[in-house]
Amino acid sequence: MAAQATLPFSCSSTFQTLSRTLSRRGPLRLRRGFLRLPSPAALPRFSRAPRPCCRHISASADASNGASAEGEYDFDLFTIGAGSGGVRASRFASTLHGARVAICEMPFATVASDELGGLGGTCVLRGCVPKKLLVYGSKYSHEFEESHGFGWTYETDPKHDWSTLIANKNTELQRLVGIYKNIINNAGVTLIEGRGKIVDPHTVSVDGKLYTAKNILIAVGGRPSMPNVAGIEHAIDSDAALDLPSKPEKIAIVGGGYIALEFAGIFNGLKSEVHVFIRQKKVLRGFDEEVRDFLAEQMSLRGITFHTEQTPQAITKSNDGLLSLKTSKETIGGFSHVMFATGRKPNTKNLGLEEVGVKMDKNGAIVVDEYSRTSVDSIWAVGDVTNRINLTPVALMEGGAFVKTVFGNEPTKPDYRAVPSAVFSQPPTGQVGLTEEQAIEEYGDVDVFVANFRPLKATLSGLPDRVLMKIIVCATTDKVLGVHMCGDDAPEIIQGIAIAVKAGLRKQDFDATIGIHPTSAEEFVTMRNATRKIRKNAAAQVESKDEAVTKQ
Amino acid sequence: MSMARKMLKDGDVPMADGEQYDYDLFVIGAGSGGVRGSRTAASFGAKVAICELPFHPISSEWLGGHGGTCVIRGCVPKKILVYGASFRGEFDDSKNFGWEINGDINFNWKTLLENKTNEIVRLNGVYKRILSNAGVTMIEGAGSLIDAHTVEVTQENGSRQRYTAKHILIATGSRAKRINIPGKELAITSDEALSLEELPKRAVILGGGYIAVEFASIWRGMGAEVDLFYRKDLPLRGFDDEMRTVVASNLEGRGIRLHPATSLSELSKTADGIKVVTDKGEELIADVVLFATGRTPNSQKLNLESVGVDVDEIGAIKVDDYSCTSVPNIWAVGDVTNRINLTPVALMEATCFAKSVFGGQPTKPDHRDVPCAVFSIPPLSVVGLSEQEAVAEAKSDVLVFTSSFNPMKNSISKRQEKTIMKLIVDSETDKVLGASMCGPDAPEIIQGIAIALKCGATKATFDSTVGIHPSAAEEFVTMRTLTRRVSPASKPKM
Repeated sequence: MAAQATLPFSCSSTFQTLSRTLSRRGPLRLRRGFLRLPSPAALPRFSRAPRPCCRHISASADASNGASAEGEYDFDLFTIGAGSGGVRASRFASTLHGARVAICEMPFATVASDELGGLGGTCVLRGCVPKKLLVYGSKYSHEFEESHGFGWTYETDPKHDWSTLIANKNTELQRLVGIYKNIINNAGVTLIEGRGKIVDPHTVSVDGKLYTAKNILIAVGGRPSMPNVAGIEHAIDSDAALDLPSKPEKIAIVGGGYIALEFAGIFNGLKSEVHVFIRQKKVLRGFDEEVRDFLAEQMSLRGITFHTEQTPQAITKSNDGLLSLKTSKETIGGFSHVMFATGRKPNTKNLGLEEVGVKMDKNGAIVVDEYSRTSVDSIWAVGDVTNRINLTPVALMEGGAFVKTVFGNEPTKPDYRAVPSAVFSQPPTGQVGLTEEQAIEEYGDVDVFVANFRPLKATLSGLPDRVLMKIIVCATTDKVLGVHMCGDDAPEIIQGIAIAVKAGLRKQDFDATIGIHPTSAEEFVTMRNATRKIRKNAAAQVESKDEAVTKQ
Repeated sequence: MSMARKMLKDGDVPMADGEQYDYDLFVIGAGSGGVRGSRTAASFGAKVAICELPFHPISSEWLGGHGGTCVIRGCVPKKILVYGASFRGEFDDSKNFGWEINGDINFNWKTLLENKTNEIVRLNGVYKRILSNAGVTMIEGAGSLIDAHTVEVTQENGSRQRYTAKHILIATGSRAKRINIPGKELAITSDEALSLEELPKRAVILGGGYIAVEFASIWRGMGAEVDLFYRKDLPLRGFDDEMRTVVASNLEGRGIRLHPATSLSELSKTADGIKVVTDKGEELIADVVLFATGRTPNSQKLNLESVGVDVDEIGAIKVDDYSCTSVPNIWAVGDVTNRINLTPVALMEATCFAKSVFGGQPTKPDHRDVPCAVFSIPPLSVVGLSEQEAVAEAKSDVLVFTSSFNPMKNSISKRQEKTIMKLIVDSETDKVLGASMCGPDAPEIIQGIAIALKCGATKATFDSTVGIHPSAAEEFVTMRTLTRRVSPASKPKM
């Protein structure tokens, strides 16, 4: 099996675990599936040496859970959309619980439309993966610059060839689509190509062919949305930006969210002239205020121009083919590309939802309860189409919880507390838990520990790179409420911290941990003095500075 | 005797028997442990002096410097060189991401050396400033004990000065040691290796510990031919065997020639370089031979014996749980005690010492679950128990979760180098006993994992944490499938 022989990459929450579940050792959670077998006496033997996941289990699955009696429906589960959430749920339902599962997905394309999609979904084809590959590619220019301070020189300046990067990225995406196909097949899930539409609470039509299922899971994701401004047809969205035929010479990026900032970093790293237009005063609305300021400053230092508090009004194309962007404040011309990263919308059009009675909110997101059940009992929805927290690992969690609830007889709510996330801007951010502002609002008395330092690498490179780290602590319980970082390796660093935050650890637990020297991450366990002590009673407020020893 | 009076808070403390000491605390050695100990003691109101040798990158009987091994001859300069060496791999990897570098790529060792030295001089100054801001008196020279309350500081010119103190803290660290073979004087230690005039083209390294492995990566990254010799079958004794295997294969993959189960028996000078003869009779020529064969505590010149401070067979000062030596008012922290020889551990020991002695809160340093890193390229980082340790200590079965994968970046660069991650779990309690990783960013990733481990996090807590996608670290929270279950004192059950 290809997926097992060559594990594709570290975005392995999908692939890594997939291939393992399919491996000969079998999944641990097989035990649960066996609990309902007629002969529970067999359990200890299985729990010691789990057998391969066998399709024959499905025969034993009784109708009290998500499984249906033979002949009643074509499938126990029909999933619409083979992205992160859909594949996770289908695979687990089949391999862990023996459910008869089908999944439908539209044909592959790098740019999504009403008829085109592809196995893997947004994450693999138009999101996390290609984005991160381009971030890797674009980061090198900064590394070349850094290398001078470490003694490296080049006879000629490094040049970038856009088409090589895009071709290699697309080869990788094709490979991943193939792996997804294998994963689905090996999990015993029936794969149907085409556009799925709900006909009734137990029937899905794929390009006119009808399939019945006891349960239907909608996991169709979201798509970029653009505002209706004049000349919007000249603008590109993030789908297109990931697969441009040539590198932008000068690009306007409209939007201040994570997608806008990630692309600003990518194109800036590849030496395009980058202008970012945001409606707010600051980038990354909803993030910690200090992080918002810090990141914008670091990005500016790397050459990105921010135009704040500007609303886009029109795009015009001049005779030379270049684009101008008119905003509420100014008009800037000479752009080879104008990109809108102004939000995403759930893909709920033409799914038959209204007809079947699946409720949606004003943004078109499917309304679900805590178990991901829609307003129609047999219809469920996970991932971006429900617009809860739109992240791959959250869709995976929702898909996993859905399967436990429906097929595992174990009602499970996805847990949205302390979900960590990252922005792969340059430098990147990583965060988990509450922002300082949220913490003050919720807890009142809060201690804030801040480290803002020049990392060891920058002292040699001479570049103005800095790192910001923050721990937000409840003053009364010592519980760590939030951790934020902006700087190299932030996403990798925050993952482990997230385990500690999820476990509800206290600041003193952080302090009791020994540092790994010399790293950036050790700063998180050596912040001994609160920078700010925020108290409802303002008189008790204290400011202090932590001493930085090796990190100045 | 010159005493800086400005920092005195409430004058000298009269002793019970009417005797007065010059200081509440006299610290010998201004490395990580000594500086932390003096600064923290001063913050509790103690009157503190610290002595240290004059600054030099290469340490000797008369040379040292504020900041100690970590800042001047260890962690910091080493990491700087690792950064410098890592670029070569980045250049290779960048090609498939579309970057073209036409013409030569040159590496100028002198530029790096100069920038490194500037940074270290800066940090040396930072350390001095920290001490003076904390009100600690700095005295230059080599300190040794006269009696339980008296330290004599000797200058290189022979002038001596005595100081009395209620408490004495020894934090003199350690030094690289050489093995005794013919021609050993031709070899260098890590001190010199960090400050070589010329970058070697052909380097021979003896040793299988982290220092050996790190220098192998550094020199290889800078373009040298590197031959690494070690006694065992794998480098990094004491680490998880599976990780050791991966490190060895990564070193080889990056072009380092490994010579397991081989030692050096003789070095001699030739016109072409240093002739190296191995214990297997092989011969090779090198520009530089590095002995990374262990370190020895700096306890010989302290006059410990006559004052009654006990040392062990390798010269490490024996201390109790509170870092107290066999003389009740003499204390020791850091590498000179040879407990866990890491900067952050010395910091912990020193803080606990100051709290115990001057803060009125007796505090034992906790040496459990200390994370550490080997800055090989790519690096290794671990916390808690290795699989072998866990199985040896276990009462119930040990669950092993491993993941070996091609990092995302390699999917484009086509670099053939797997990242490996491992969690060791107690089957009875579900507690995570150990975590290890070999791959890019491992030390940064393990730090957070170490917090969770230190607080006894269970595998269920790891599993309930949502991943950060796409990262390498997310693998630690998505390892759902058992790789093997090992019973105490048995072979793995598949």
